[in-house]
Amino acid sequence: MSDDNTHEHDDGHDGHLPPKSSVKRWLVTTNHKDIGILYTITAIFFLIFAGILAMLIRVQMWESGHFILSDLGYNQVVTAHGLLMVFWFLSPFAFGLANYFVPLQIGAADLAFPRLNAVSYWLYLFSGVLLGVSFFQGASLPTGWTLYAPLNLPAFIPGVAELGSMSAILALIIFVASVTIGSVNFLTTMYRMRAEGLRMRDTPLFSISILLTVWMMLFAFAALLAALILLSFDHVFAGEAGQGYFGSEEGGSLLWTHLFWFFGHPEVYIVFFPALGVMAEVVQTFSGRRLVGRKWFIIAMALVAIQSFIVWMHHMFLTSINLPIKTVMMVTTIGISLPFDLMMFALIYTMIKGRVRWKTPFLFVLGAIILFILGGITGVFLGAIVLDYSFRGTYWVVAHFHYVMASGAVALIGGLYYWYPKITGKMYNEFLGKVHFVLAFIGFNLLYFPLFVVWETPRRWFHYDGMTVAPTIPFTDIVLFETGFTIWHQMATIGAFLFAASFLVMFYNLFVSLYSDRVVDESPWAYTGSAEWTVSSPPPETNFPGAPSFATGKLNFLEGPATDGGTETAKTDGGVAHAGDTVEKHPDHASWWPLLMSLAALVTAIGISGLETSYFVWPFVFAIPFFVGYLGFEGARKDGFTPVHGIYMAAAMPLFALFGIVFHLHHGVPGGFIEANQYFWIATVGAFFGVATLISMGYESFFAPEPKPELTEQWPFEGVTNTKLGMWVFLGSDIVLFGAFIGSYIFMRIQHGWTDWWVSATYESKAVWPGLVNTYVLLASSFTIVLALAYAKKGSKRGTLGFLAITFIGAGAFMINKIIEWNELYINQGWTFNADVMASAYYLTTGLHAAHVVVGMLIMLFLFARAYSGAYWSEDEDAYTIEYFGLYWHFVDIVWLFLFPLFYLL
Amino acid sequence: MAKIRLYTIIFAALMVISTVQFALEWAVLDRELIDMGYWVIFWIVIVMSSIKAVAVAGWYMHMLEEPRAITYLAMAGLLCVIALTAGAGYSVL
Repeated sequence: MSDDNTHEHDDGHDGHLPPKSSVKRWLVTTNHKDIGILYTITAIFFLIFAGILAMLIRVQMWESGHFILSDLGYNQVVTAHGLLMVFWFLSPFAFGLANYFVPLQIGAADLAFPRLNAVSYWLYLFSGVLLGVSFFQGASLPTGWTLYAPLNLPAFIPGVAELGSMSAILALIIFVASVTIGSVNFLTTMYRMRAEGLRMRDTPLFSISILLTVWMMLFAFAALLAALILLSFDHVFAGEAGQGYFGSEEGGSLLWTHLFWFFGHPEVYIVFFPALGVMAEVVQTFSGRRLVGRKWFIIAMALVAIQSFIVWMHHMFLTSINLPIKTVMMVTTIGISLPFDLMMFALIYTMIKGRVRWKTPFLFVLGAIILFILGGITGVFLGAIVLDYSFRGTYWVVAHFHYVMASGAVALIGGLYYWYPKITGKMYNEFLGKVHFVLAFIGFNLLYFPLFVVWETPRRWFHYDGMTVAPTIPFTDIVLFETGFTIWHQMATIGAFLFAASFLVMFYNLFVSLYSDRVVDESPWAYTGSAEWTVSSPPPETNFPGAPSFATGKLNFLEGPATDGGTETAKTDGGVAHAGDTVEKHPDHASWWPLLMSLAALVTAIGISGLETSYFVWPFVFAIPFFVGYLGFEGARKDGFTPVHGIYMAAAMPLFALFGIVFHLHHGVPGGFIEANQYFWIATVGAFFGVATLISMGYESFFAPEPKPELTEQWPFEGVTNTKLGMWVFLGSDIVLFGAFIGSYIFMRIQHGWTDWWVSATYESKAVWPGLVNTYVLLASSFTIVLALAYAKKGSKRGTLGFLAITFIGAGAFMINKIIEWNELYINQGWTFNADVMASAYYLTTGLHAAHVVVGMLIMLFLFARAYSGAYWSEDEDAYTIEYFGLYWHFVDIVWLFLFPLFYLL
Repeated sequence: MAKIRLYTIIFAALMVISTVQFALEWAVLDRELIDMGYWVIFWIVIVMSSIKAVAVAGWYMHMLEEPRAITYLAMAGLLCVIALTAGAGYSVL
C-alpha cells in the first residue's frame, strides 16, 4: 500500500498519515519506517555536531599550547564530543536502521507500540537539543564523557557550569528514558511479532544483533539512570559547599566508577553489536553465501552480551579496588575477546569461501573489520592489569577506543549504503561511494594510528609540550622515531580533516542520488536472504502484500489480514457500546502527543536546570492539582460526563489551595512567586504542559493491532499479550534501577562499616514504626489491587471501583505517613538531605520509591475514572489494564519489602 | 472465590511475616532481649523479605501462571543487580 492508500477513519479520528511531502507527516508519524528515517537523519546531524567539536580538538592539538579554545572550553568540547558521538550518534544511527528494517526482517507490520516508538524518537531528539542548550547556560559539563566523580560535582567545579552541567545531566536522563522505552518496544516486537515459521535462530543476523543490543540496553542504561539521578540530586542539594553522594568519604567517587562502568562496558557492545549485525548481512550478501558458522556466530554474540556485565572493573585497575577482583576482571576481559575472535574468523572465512563483489557497502565493512581487529588487539593490552598501569589515561586508550568505536561507525555507514536503495528506491553513485571509502579509510588511519605512536600523551591534555620527546617502544628505552610528539599530532589533525571531508562526499552522493533516475526494484543485490528484499523499494506502508509466513521454509504471503481486531464494536464518545454498531477498524499511524509530550519534557528539564533548591519540588507539586482537574475535564470530553469527572474538576481548586498554603508557609504568597527565578516558571509551565499531554495521550484512541497468534511465532512468550510483556520488560529495567540504588547504599555501608552505619547518622532516632505501618499499608494495597482485578474479571462494577478506591486510599495513607516521617526527620531532627551520607542514601532511595507510589496514585485516578465510565469490567471490556497496572503496583510493593529491612530495621 | 481465598491467605501471611520481622528487630537489636547476634537476625530478616517478595510475585503478579520466560526475564534483572552489588561490595573488602 502506498501513501495514496492510507485511510481516514470512520470515527473521525485523525489516524491517517499525510503524504511524505508534508511536514506534518514527519511530526505526527508513528510508522516505523518514517521513524527510522527520522532517527537516521537526526543521528547524522549529531555526527556533524560532534564532528565539528572533534575538529576543534584536533586544531587545539596542532601544537602544544596552540589555543583556539580556553582551558574550560577545551574540557567542555572534549566532553560534549564524547557524549554526542557515543550516545547521540552511534546508537541512534544504528537504531535508525533497526527501526526501519527489524519489522521488515521479522515479517511484522510495525513495532508493537508505535506511539511509544515516536516518543522514543522525540525524547532522543530533544535530549540532544538540551545538551546543545547547556552550552548557552554559561558552560556545559567539563568532565569528560565518563563524568568521573568528584569532578562531576559542583563543589569541585566551583563557579562554572552550574546550569549547563545540570542540563547535560538531565539531557542524559531524558536520553535514557528514550532508550528504555525503545528497548521495551523492540523486545516486545521481536518476541511477539515474528512471522509464522520464523524461529528466533533463523531471524536475520542484523535483527538478532539488535535483539541482543536491546537486552543489554535494558539493563545497562538502568544502572546509568540510577547514577544520573543520584548525580542530579548531588547538584541540587549538595551545592558547592557539600560533598553529596559521590563526594562522600564512603567511597563516593569509587561508587561513581562502579555505576558508570557497569553501564559503560556493556555500552561498548551496545554501540558495536548493530555494526556486527551489519557486517554479517553485508558479508553474506557480497560474498554470495550464508555466513560460515552462523549458529556459533550467534552463540558468540550472546556470550559477549552476558559476559559484558562482568568485566566492568577493568576500567578501574588504577582505583583502590583489591587485587583479587582486578584479577577476576582481567580474566573475564581477556576471555571476552575469544567470542569476538570467533566472529571475526567467521566473517573472514565467509569471504574466502564466497565470491566477493567489491561494492561500496562491502568495502566499508571490510574496512571496519580491519579497524576492529586493530582496535581489539590494542584493547587486550588494556585488559592486562600490569600493562594498564602504564597505558591508562594515555593516548593509547584514545587511539584504541576510537579504532573500536569508529569501526562500528564505519560498518554502520556500510549499512547505510547497503540499505539506501531499499529506503529511497534509488541507487547511490557507486564511484562516489568508493571515493568516500578510500578517503575515509586513509583519513581515519592517518588520524588515529599516529596516536598509538605518541601514546605517552596524557589523555584530555592539550599542553603536551613537556612530552615533546622522541616516542619510545612501550616499556623500553628504544627510540621509535627521532621526532617529538608534535609532528604526529599534526599528522593526526590532517587525518581528521581528511576523514571529515570524506563525509562531504557521502552527503553529496546520497542527496544527489535521491533525484537520480537509478530506480531499483525489490533488490539491487544479486544475493540476499532476508525479507526486506522481497518487497518494493521503498516498501509499502503496511510492509507486505499479505501476512508473511515462513512455515514452508521460505517466505510466502498469505491472503487476509495478519492482525486481530479487524472489526470492533463502535464506540460513542461515552464509550457505550450499541449492539450491531460495528465498523472496520484500521491501525492508527498518526499522533501529535509523542512530539508534544517530549517537548514538554525538554521545557521542564530546562526549568529544572536552574531551579533553586528551596523551589525544587514546587512545579511538580502544583502540577498534581492540574493533573486531577485536567483528568476530569479530558475524561468528561472523551468518555462522557460522570460524577467522578465532576469530583476531579472540583477537587482541583481545593488541592491548589492546600498546596498554596504549604507554599505560603515556606516562601510566602505572593512574595514567594515574585521572588522565584524564571526557571521556576519554565519548570512549572513544562510540568503543566507535560501533564496535559500525558492525559491526552492516555485518552487518545489509538489502535495498534496485535498479530494473530496462529500466524505468529511468539516463543517463549506465547499467551502473554504485547502490553503485558512490555510491562514485564519495563519492570526488568526498573529492577536494575532500584537495585543500583540499593546496591549503592550497600556499597557505601560496607565502606563505612556496616554495623556502624546508623550509629554514625546524625539524627536523633530511627523511624521504625512509620516503616512498619507503611509496610502494612502497602501490602494491603497489593491485596486490594489484586481484588480489583478479580472483581473486574467477574464483571462487578462495585467490586472493581471499590477496591480501586481502597488501593488509592492505601497509597495516599502511605504518602501521608511518609510525609510525617520525613517531616520529623528533616525538620524536627534537622537530618537534612546532605546532613551525612546516611541521610542522602535514605532520602534518595526511599524518595525514588515514594515517587513510584505517587505515579501509581495518578494512574489509579485515571483507571478509576475510566472504570466508572464502564471500562475494564463491563461486557466487551477486558480487565487486563488493571492487571498491567497491578504488575507495576506489586513491584513497588516488592521494592518496599526490601527497603523496610535495609533502611528501617537493620 | 477460590482465588480470592488464596489472595486473602497470602495477605495474612505477608502481614504476619512483616510483624515477625519487626518483632525480631525490636527484641534482638533494639532491646537486646534475645542474644542472637546481628548477622543471624540480618539473614533471617532478609530471607523473610525474600519469601514475601516471592509470594507477591508468584501469586499477586501471577508469575506462576505465566510462561517461565517471564520469570527468567525478572531473574536476569536481579542477576545484574547481584553482579553489581556483589562485585562492587567485594572490591572494597
